[in-house]
Amino acid sequence: MDRESFIHLTKPATVGAITTSPLQVVVCAQALFAILDHSLRRSPDQERVIGTLLGVRSEDGSEIEIRNCFAVGHNESQEQVEVDMDYHKQMYNLHLKANPKEVLVGWYATSPELNTFSALIQNFYASNGDGTYPYPAVHLTVSSNPGKDITCRTYISSSVGVTPDRAADSCLFVPVPYEIKYAETERNALESLSMGRASLERQVNNIVDIHSLEVGIDELLDLLNRVSFYVSQVVSDDALPSVAIGQTLLNSLSLAPKIEASELEKLFNTHLQDVLLVSYLANTIRTQIDLSNKLASATGITLPAQSQKTDHKRQRERD
Amino acid sequence: MASEISTIKSVRVDALVAMRIVKHATGAYPTTVYGSLLGMEVDGVLQITNAFPFPTSTDDDSSSSALTPKNKGVMWYENEMIKCLREVNVDANNVGWYQSSTLGNFINSNFIENQAHYQSKINERTIALVYDSMRGAQGGMALKAYRLTPQFVVAYKENKFTSDNLQKHGLTYKDILQELPLTLYNSHLATSLLHQLSIPQPAPAVLPVSISSLTNPPTYPQLSQPLSTNFNALDLTIDPVLEKSCDLLLEAIDGHNTEANNAAYYQRSLAREQTKISNWQQKRKAENAVRVAQKLAPLPEDDWQKIFKLPQEPSRLDALLISRQVEQYARQVDGLTATSSAKLFALNGGIPRF
Repeated sequence: MDRESFIHLTKPATVGAITTSPLQVVVCAQALFAILDHSLRRSPDQERVIGTLLGVRSEDGSEIEIRNCFAVGHNESQEQVEVDMDYHKQMYNLHLKANPKEVLVGWYATSPELNTFSALIQNFYASNGDGTYPYPAVHLTVSSNPGKDITCRTYISSSVGVTPDRAADSCLFVPVPYEIKYAETERNALESLSMGRASLERQVNNIVDIHSLEVGIDELLDLLNRVSFYVSQVVSDDALPSVAIGQTLLNSLSLAPKIEASELEKLFNTHLQDVLLVSYLANTIRTQIDLSNKLASATGITLPAQSQKTDHKRQRERD
Repeated sequence: MASEISTIKSVRVDALVAMRIVKHATGAYPTTVYGSLLGMEVDGVLQITNAFPFPTSTDDDSSSSALTPKNKGVMWYENEMIKCLREVNVDANNVGWYQSSTLGNFINSNFIENQAHYQSKINERTIALVYDSMRGAQGGMALKAYRLTPQFVVAYKENKFTSDNLQKHGLTYKDILQELPLTLYNSHLATSLLHQLSIPQPAPAVLPVSISSLTNPPTYPQLSQPLSTNFNALDLTIDPVLEKSCDLLLEAIDGHNTEANNAAYYQRSLAREQTKISNWQQKRKAENAVRVAQKLAPLPEDDWQKIFKLPQEPSRLDALLISRQVEQYARQVDGLTATSSAKLFALNGGIPRF
């Protein structure tokens, strides 16, 4: 995604002002999917849709993790903007019931534009009472124009304006850095999802274990090819050599165990036999259960000793 | 519209739903979590387009075990949520529910009750999605769609799981649940996002100067890491998972034995009562023969129904469920050993011999 530099200037703290201290925003992939889904479901006449971001704030407030979000209905015209605040409150309460740890952290919009209405909404979300005060409210924009890259931006705001009147409907959006994060299991899920990204139907069928194994091996082969290509380039003086890379490669290579061929054969065979035995027993159990049920329905008697035999065998094998 | 025979042939799960379920299940692991599914059915394909988790506790009900879709508080929550979601153009039809599981340990009376509740009360065309948190951590997407078969629903409504009844419906443990083919679906925008997430980072302009700079790249400023394949699937130590599966399998077999013993006990006591009855009948017959000889009115011969009570046949439902559960585990173990042995062979071929 886009790589930009951010500069943070910590202003001297003024009484009552919202803090604009350095802030790190982490966006969970799940929230992005929800925002994109909302963007797809907007009415044709709506330029953008907005919603509330929920997440977790670190204790000192310097890191915000956006974990979830929900859509909030709003109406925008040339002159005015109308956000369904009752709806927001109701939804927020419902979400809190299911997930008390995720609190209000800000709001999102599905257009990269920042305008006067953005400032108004931002001021509501950052306000005292219903908003995130004393913490800053995060504003996340996700562009969803067809044919263009999906770009995200995160902002916090600081108040500007000479009179209190003007300050209420204007604010200064300060861009802050963000990171898209996925937990280990989420990553596995995303991986499965992205298997379908190149297909025309945008679907993934028949998710089986052996598939992910195949993908993993392919990826590994790719990486090995890349490394060996680099090494051969270095050898033929086409690429710049690096001591660090060489050392790392050497370290990895030395991880391969030094083992007698006969010893390895033995280990391999015993382990393989174990695995095959377990597989065989699993299938036997399945057959026995089938048999037991067939007999039970045929005679009305369930045979108690049916699976006992495999049970014992299994125990022995495991010991 | 409300035809008795379901027309769902397959299930299509949106990326959003998959991600929500994964997040919810992982966040609460190892607790089992439940949630609701929204979507609609189009030409036999059930499209699930949104999902939300059920609350972890409700105000009006303090019993902890009752937080399943049948709970009153949960039902209220579900309705409120759907009402709200309707306002923002979400497909506001309840099409089922999801739950998390560990290594496929979900087939129990609770699951059946919930799904029966959905299939009878809300809509015939509802499904249950089961996400396996432990398998999910191993790699891949361990999401499965199930529904109760029509035969089972009929039998469940009668609530009589005796041997005769089962035979009448032709119901075996294999006919309880029906697994539906499941596809994952990405919207155009989601596809775009996935493509963008997996763009590899450009090679650094300067080569690393030391090993530590390679292994611990500077953490700040943090950039979004590209989505790359993780190699969990290549992990050779699947033994813990296999062992856990075997343990669960053994447990299920024990359960099966208990059920079988119950059934056998019932058979024995039934046989005992039956001998008593036939003894009594013979005695009565002999008595009557004497009475007829003495020209007295014979005593009724079917009085035994008042004197003896035949034992009630225990419900076979638990036995059926346990059988199904054993089968589930056995299949799972089989699947695990398949990938495991493939990896073993790969390893054997790859290690240099000295």
